[in-house]
Amino acid sequence: MIGNFLDQFWSLTFGGLSLGFIYILIALGYTMVYGVLRMINFANSEIFMVGTFATIIIIRDLFKFTQVSEYATGFRLWLILGTALIFAMLVSGILSMLVEMVAYRRLRRMNSGVLAPLISAIGVSMVLSESVRILTDSRPVASPRAMEKKFLGQFFDAGIRIDNTIIVISALVLFAILITFVNKTRMGKAIRAVSMNPNAARLMGINIDGVISATFLVGGLMTGAAGFFYTLKYENTSAFIGFELGIAAFTAAILGGIGNIKGAFYGGLALGLLETYASFFLGTQWKAVTVFIVLVLVLYTKPNGLFGEALTQTRA
Amino acid sequence: MKKRGLISVAAAAALAAASLVAVAPASNAAAKTITLAFQGPLTGEEASVGQDELAGMLYAIKLFNAKNKGKYVVKVVQADDQGDPAQSAKVAPGIASNKKIIGLVGAAYSGATIAALPYYKQRNLPMISPSATRVSITDPAAGNIGFPVFHRIPPTDKVQGPALFKLATKGVSSPKVFVVDDQSAYGVGLVDYMKPSIPAGQSAGFDSVSDKTTDWSATISKIKTAAANVVIYTGYFPQAAPFFKQLRDSGYTGILAGGDGVLSPTFVTLAPASVLEGVRLTAGTVPLAEIDAKLEADFVKKMGKASGVYAAESIDATNVFLAGIAKGVSTRAAMLKFVKSYSGKSLTGTTIKFDAYGDVAGGALNGFVVKGGVIKFDGPVK
Repeated sequence: MIGNFLDQFWSLTFGGLSLGFIYILIALGYTMVYGVLRMINFANSEIFMVGTFATIIIIRDLFKFTQVSEYATGFRLWLILGTALIFAMLVSGILSMLVEMVAYRRLRRMNSGVLAPLISAIGVSMVLSESVRILTDSRPVASPRAMEKKFLGQFFDAGIRIDNTIIVISALVLFAILITFVNKTRMGKAIRAVSMNPNAARLMGINIDGVISATFLVGGLMTGAAGFFYTLKYENTSAFIGFELGIAAFTAAILGGIGNIKGAFYGGLALGLLETYASFFLGTQWKAVTVFIVLVLVLYTKPNGLFGEALTQTRA
Repeated sequence: MKKRGLISVAAAAALAAASLVAVAPASNAAAKTITLAFQGPLTGEEASVGQDELAGMLYAIKLFNAKNKGKYVVKVVQADDQGDPAQSAKVAPGIASNKKIIGLVGAAYSGATIAALPYYKQRNLPMISPSATRVSITDPAAGNIGFPVFHRIPPTDKVQGPALFKLATKGVSSPKVFVVDDQSAYGVGLVDYMKPSIPAGQSAGFDSVSDKTTDWSATISKIKTAAANVVIYTGYFPQAAPFFKQLRDSGYTGILAGGDGVLSPTFVTLAPASVLEGVRLTAGTVPLAEIDAKLEADFVKKMGKASGVYAAESIDATNVFLAGIAKGVSTRAAMLKFVKSYSGKSLTGTTIKFDAYGDVAGGALNGFVVKGGVIKFDGPVK
């Protein structure tokens, strides 16, 4: 088994990495909101699901790809991918903002405590997934393939595939932009201020509702990007896709320290790799068991996750 | 005044019934109303399976009602079990105690069937399932839990397991077969019945993967390590398509095969045609279009959508009950007796006659192959 593992090591690692980067982006959706509101936005998994459908709408309906189409190349390919990425991000970002306005804002103003928004979040999550289920007639939906999945090269025994490469590089770029936004811009500073002490921030003249909206928008943009990358890699989605991925990304966020942007990064990577290695060694049926044993062990020694809670600790 | 009250009560009842009853043509005063039921997943993740079967049943009833205008009106009560045993145990008591229902087409899934059986047995409701293929339901060695009310049209997984292996390895000179199941009772069972038919030295390994899996890279690595040239997936199409796609994308060039859980018109829409080219599938079912293109065209015209998997079996199952109704059967006891002694032709022309345990004897498995993005009928597996 060990010998086999070494043979497959790099190919497993590349697969785990690109999965990990998808987890990171979804985990950012959870972690940003938690950092500011100390609230788990359970609807984030459905924001992701909607992002996957937004991607398919662009590829299948706008650019008219089918399962028997020729693959796009050159400029047209990048145009398609770029449009789909931006559209998925915008749809998810705006939806995320709307969810906050409709489902959480009033509860927050009325000082409802933590439980009411939690139920509200679960409710929104169900409304979104059931609506999509009805719209799709409960069937899984595939994204037609627009890009040929060719191998760019060889790294030891593992082929490096174009989609995995695109995911890793673009996710890194998005992550860098996010870090810069949070640490260097006025709005980023305001987000950190609200995260640290909402009352003090309000007294300083910060528009709390605006900051919270911006946080949901940014979290939604990242989650939407994850929806695009997921669709690029796996090409399949359904109304129920959010749950499993959402739980995984949430686990990643907890593993790294929820509310902590850097934590989401390492948590996502660790989870992606851990899942892939565990599936290979112990059989895929042991994946969840392994992941949660590791999670419990980590929390046992570091109850706030690897990097601790709070958005304020994110100076990269 | 009293009469008007009665009418409005009747109208309200009719309204309430409208949500349950899908086929309710203008009833004739002289016509006798008979109620059948359907049980299967109508909402939730598996809804397409139940909806397709229900459409088959409603199609058969539509034809029957049109043919017997003025004599009989058959109505259908729909019971949605979401394919889930827990949900099935919730809806079954209501169906069982509704005395108007004299026959049930379903349940679609084996797990849901087993959960509902105690209620139906207690109230003696005859059942004919178009798709519950788990062996234990009719196996005397397993306690014959379906007796006497349960019957089914398709052959069981005991027949399908070996047939799937045979079809998958057909024409392969030195097969090394890797089998992946989806951890469902169906998938694991199919593997168990396949195992005895795998010759020594032809097995390259097994894996068992949750039906929630989206990333298959670990399983794919195992397949590559084992140098398999035949991969069989025993699960359902929503997982099969991404799995096959990821496997092909990783450079695998061998044979891909799956059972009746994969055989769905939706399957081929879930991956590029080039990826699914040559995928081999088995099923006890035959698509309506393969039986007769005109039949499919008529189905589309009447039901407003293409027929799905197990449409033929649903029609066959419904036709057994309808034959009884045409002979004047109107109680559960009489219907059960009728079904037990029934002998008739299926849509494909084979004989439907249930043995003592509720199975149709001599059911054959058919092979299918994906060509140019379409599932093509390939004849019986020999």
